[in-house]
Amino acid sequence: MTAAAPRSPAGGLAGLSNDLADAVEQAARSVVAVHARRRIPSSGVAWRPGVIVAASHALARDEDITVTLPDGHTVTATLAGRDETTDLAVLRVDAPSLPPAERADPTALRVGHFVLAVGRPGPNVTASMGVVSAVGGEWRTWQGGRIDRFVRLDLNIYDGFSGGALIEAGGRVLGINTSGLARATALTIPATTVDRVADQLLSHGRVQRGYLGLASQPVRLPEALRAALQLESGIGLVVVNVEPDGPADRAGVLLGDVIIAVDGTPVRDPADVLAALGPDRVGKPLTARVLRGGQPVAVTITVGRRPQAQPRRR
Amino acid sequence: MSWERELQELAARLRAITVEVATGGTSAGSGVIWDGNGLVLTNAHVATRPDPIVRLADGRTLPARVVLRDPQRDLAALDVGVRGLPAATIGDERALRPGELVLAMGNPLGVPGALAVGIVHGGPARGWRGTRWIRADIRLAPGNSGGPLADAQGNIVGLNAMVVGGLGYAVPSGVVTRFLRGEGSRAA
Repeated sequence: MTAAAPRSPAGGLAGLSNDLADAVEQAARSVVAVHARRRIPSSGVAWRPGVIVAASHALARDEDITVTLPDGHTVTATLAGRDETTDLAVLRVDAPSLPPAERADPTALRVGHFVLAVGRPGPNVTASMGVVSAVGGEWRTWQGGRIDRFVRLDLNIYDGFSGGALIEAGGRVLGINTSGLARATALTIPATTVDRVADQLLSHGRVQRGYLGLASQPVRLPEALRAALQLESGIGLVVVNVEPDGPADRAGVLLGDVIIAVDGTPVRDPADVLAALGPDRVGKPLTARVLRGGQPVAVTITVGRRPQAQPRRR
Repeated sequence: MSWERELQELAARLRAITVEVATGGTSAGSGVIWDGNGLVLTNAHVATRPDPIVRLADGRTLPARVVLRDPQRDLAALDVGVRGLPAATIGDERALRPGELVLAMGNPLGVPGALAVGIVHGGPARGWRGTRWIRADIRLAPGNSGGPLADAQGNIVGLNAMVVGGLGYAVPSGVVTRFLRGEGSRAA
């Protein structure tokens, strides 16, 4: 491993340039290439000893996964689990010489912060430069995954970007980059979210998610009904499928029921129901207010555990 | 911030050594004043005719002659017949590190003397027959071809040649040096 180049005596622009190259070099010690698809490798970041985090969408298969380390060696990796809702996957490797990434606090990120995206789409490290374009609070991905902080980047997405590290000027990792959560948009999953999901994937092989066993879609209530029931919202979720013997079925939910509130909160979109089904709700009661034949009915469903997705073999 | 002022001064120095190259009356790209003897370097795909016109930063236009051309390495050397013009300081592209700043100067989409700033993306890309390019995470456009790619100290490390997958590809200055010495050319 080469030592960082000495700081240029000129300081100023050359000093800034040197700092950026040093930051990439520092972070690169923990960035690997992940071979889990036919085309070029994606990136991964050593997160804990023997544990690598990668982007789930960039792993086309669950088996025959190998990882190329910064020193050039390639080792086999086993998939500990995926969480497609946050586009994270966790791999286990036997690589004692691979240091976990040094972290920086992602909550300190502000619009305009200078950042670098570091990846390894092959044996060598690559980088692109930009700024934090937008930040926001907790948000849900289209699949219902919970991400602690919205971090959008103004920088170029290139091959191997997903699964790579977002770093600050000191080379410390703020999160995992992905282009898989929103089309053509570079986002970062902050380190705090990565930790939470990694804990679940390492202990359970997946993120436990609450499950009701029903499918629904938004429907507009007849105005007369809305007025008669004094509902503020004119939108409900009509149940279009009830899984036989699932939690909703056992609670007596019927096809055609219109869900208007979950745990006292009005729902307008199936995502609102998903939002109430985090890992902490498994086994707990959930109260749904539904309209059945035009009459309000309270239904209590014991939240089940979402069944595991089929493994991929490709 | 002192580095902002440095960046502005560096941009001015690069502007002085960057030219516009026109062929057949149309702007074809950019070029770099390579030495004090009137030698201008550009891409072979810019200098497609033997008698291009070179426009300097100060507005002067000079007729030029293509004296050397290698389509394989995408390089062409022009002679503008004027000595003492501001010339490039040539750097060593082999010292470039991923993440370090690079600057491009050129005429993207017809805008003369436009600056772009980016970073070295990774190691060089290698093409067939031993060609290689510096890869930079930098926004280039048609019209940047033939213009200089410089490091943070203003040394010219390459000649911008094309955009591939969103990255700016430049012919390394070491390749230019060998081209000028008549080394390494291969039969087409």
